[in-house]
Amino acid sequence: MGNDNILEVESIHTFIGQFHILEGVSLQVPRSSITVLLGRNGAGKTTTLKSILGLTPPRHGVVRFDGQEIQGKPAYEIAAMGIGYVPEHRAIFRNLSVAENLKIAERKKGDLDRKADFIFSLFPDLKRLYRLPGNHLSGGQQQMLAVARALVADNQLLLIDEPSEGLAPILIEQMMETIRNLSATTTVLLVEQNFIMASQLAENYYILDDGKTVHQGKMADLVQDKELIHRMLGTAVRSGGAG
Amino acid sequence: MMRNNFFRDNAALLGVVVILAVLGVVGYTSMGQTAFVRTTLSGLTLGALFFMVAAGLTLIFGLMDVLNFAHGAMFMLGAYLGWQFFTNPTFLFGLAPLILALLAPLFGWLFARLEIPEALQKSAPSLLGLAGVVVVFLAVRGLDILDLAKTAMVATMTAADPLAEATPQEALSIFWLRTAGMFIAGALLAMATSRPGDKTRTVHTDQVRRALIGAGVLLVFTIVATLFREAAPRAVLLWDANLRFFAALLVGALLGAGIGGAIEVTLIRPLYVRPIYQVIVTLGLAYVLREVIQLLWQPLAYQMSRPPLFSQPGKAENIFEWFRTNSVTVDVLGVTFPSYRLFIILLGVLMLVALALLMNYTRLGMIIRAGVQDRQMVEALGINVQRVFTLVFMLGAGLAALGGIGAAPFIPVQPNMGDAFQLQAFIVVVIGGMGSYGGAAIGALLLGLARAFGDYLALKYSLSPAIAEASTVIIMAIVLLVRPAGLFGRKE
Repeated sequence: MGNDNILEVESIHTFIGQFHILEGVSLQVPRSSITVLLGRNGAGKTTTLKSILGLTPPRHGVVRFDGQEIQGKPAYEIAAMGIGYVPEHRAIFRNLSVAENLKIAERKKGDLDRKADFIFSLFPDLKRLYRLPGNHLSGGQQQMLAVARALVADNQLLLIDEPSEGLAPILIEQMMETIRNLSATTTVLLVEQNFIMASQLAENYYILDDGKTVHQGKMADLVQDKELIHRMLGTAVRSGGAG
Repeated sequence: MMRNNFFRDNAALLGVVVILAVLGVVGYTSMGQTAFVRTTLSGLTLGALFFMVAAGLTLIFGLMDVLNFAHGAMFMLGAYLGWQFFTNPTFLFGLAPLILALLAPLFGWLFARLEIPEALQKSAPSLLGLAGVVVVFLAVRGLDILDLAKTAMVATMTAADPLAEATPQEALSIFWLRTAGMFIAGALLAMATSRPGDKTRTVHTDQVRRALIGAGVLLVFTIVATLFREAAPRAVLLWDANLRFFAALLVGALLGAGIGGAIEVTLIRPLYVRPIYQVIVTLGLAYVLREVIQLLWQPLAYQMSRPPLFSQPGKAENIFEWFRTNSVTVDVLGVTFPSYRLFIILLGVLMLVALALLMNYTRLGMIIRAGVQDRQMVEALGINVQRVFTLVFMLGAGLAALGGIGAAPFIPVQPNMGDAFQLQAFIVVVIGGMGSYGGAAIGALLLGLARAFGDYLALKYSLSPAIAEASTVIIMAIVLLVRPAGLFGRKE
């Protein structure tokens, strides 16, 4: 019964106001893997993540997490089932301290105490910054905090939205390493504009265009298909820095 | 590095402190000690009251984006409830079973699975709602009109014999009719609001169970309240008057919070997708509450007497002596000042401290601060933001109600008493920055002092007293020119 997939999305349609943003997105995310959503700006990648989480609930279609239908549930219930979210633009709580940013993500008492060593081993900087308010952190540090926050509770699936956005190249390398490490213990669904990063991390890919899934497959096959990459993601590849 | 951050982060606070210090020195030297101290204390009293209203307002707006125009009405409700509990709780205890009986069936979604024939589905909600309102009217007034019973309405107050106030009420057998009527009305209203036939609405089994338990508990409360509706007020009136006063503060704040919670759940919650409707609903609610109060208590101005703790004749030479004498006035730095007003200042400071502790050292406070910045992310962490909204609305309403009772002993208790405070509180919120309780405290302090010193200047130079009122708006304009997001607002 598709139990190899932690997440299954079947042709969801999402509206924001009167705009029909997602017009049939379908995904299957296998357990303990990294799956990446590709596509141009405005293709609906972020909305797909938000629809899975119930922040912008889909009007039609089915979302199954761990075999259970979750569409239509309130976002906090969906998240509490074990989905961590790292939003774009490093959306940490800037008026809270680093410690509070992590503490607020606890779902059970003691979550943070149990996970602290693991989190500091991934992001040693955060230990040094622990008492500082979030708005004193640099962009890269904020991004790390946003990822760390999603690791405090026991999440089986992480939705990560553009982790490389606005990061210096050396930090992108670090972030990639971290996400690769994470996929050993959890599943990652990634939205990434930087094709170089996406191609080195992910095993599976989906390409969205105009709110629909238009291509899917193994990343190893996609990197061979230069023509498809150029047609679907032309701008994204160039902005990725290589060629 | 760290020092730079300190000055940058606290620029607004330091600026305000410097300006106040300069003005203080100028005022002290030009006015003389007596006038200066008296005006400052008056300003602090006013500021404390402004803060009690503004604190809830700023949290509610900051977290939920709800501009609550009914906040002044919560202040007014608090004053009425506290004043009644203090002087003559008979009426409140007579009202309690009726309200509880009405709420019991409304609690939760008891009728969410109601089946109504298709042909009636369009008109059913309005018909049921109308029937509910009619039954409420019959239960409250019908028995009187039929001359079957006389309700013990508000008695006038005399301080001499509190027990004389506890007027004998109608027989229990008649009163049960009222309670039953209210229960039926509640059931009708619950059916009307259950959106019969709405297939898109899913109701979980555990929600229905929780609703049933809630309704059961309320029903038990109803019965208890009905049985004790005569004994309870007598017992309360035999308490020591000081104890009764502090109990009134507590009861009024808790009832205010409860009413606030009911308002959020029933009126505000369905409208988060239509924010402009929320503004209109709270605006309308303010009028409705005022009319209901006039209906229950008549459009008169009442005066609440001060508890004995603040009303013994004579003057205490200093604060320490007041603890022994409980006199009506205290000598503060050579100025004779009412001791009750000092209590109000203390109450405001205590509230600020309690709020600061809540916001900085509890999980709820952390969630509120995070939610003010990014609600969606808080929800994405698995936190039920909706429930936090209800709690914050209750907190805000409770604080405003507490402010109302605190003010009742020195401003007239009347239906529009909250309006002026609400207006000032809005200005306080704008000055302090939306969502910042610290900003609200500073803003309230500024406005309180501005009003007091404005009044002083107007009196001294025989200017129009409108100067004092205008001064608050002028302060707001200056603050907004310098910092458009308010003193402690975040620029996003």
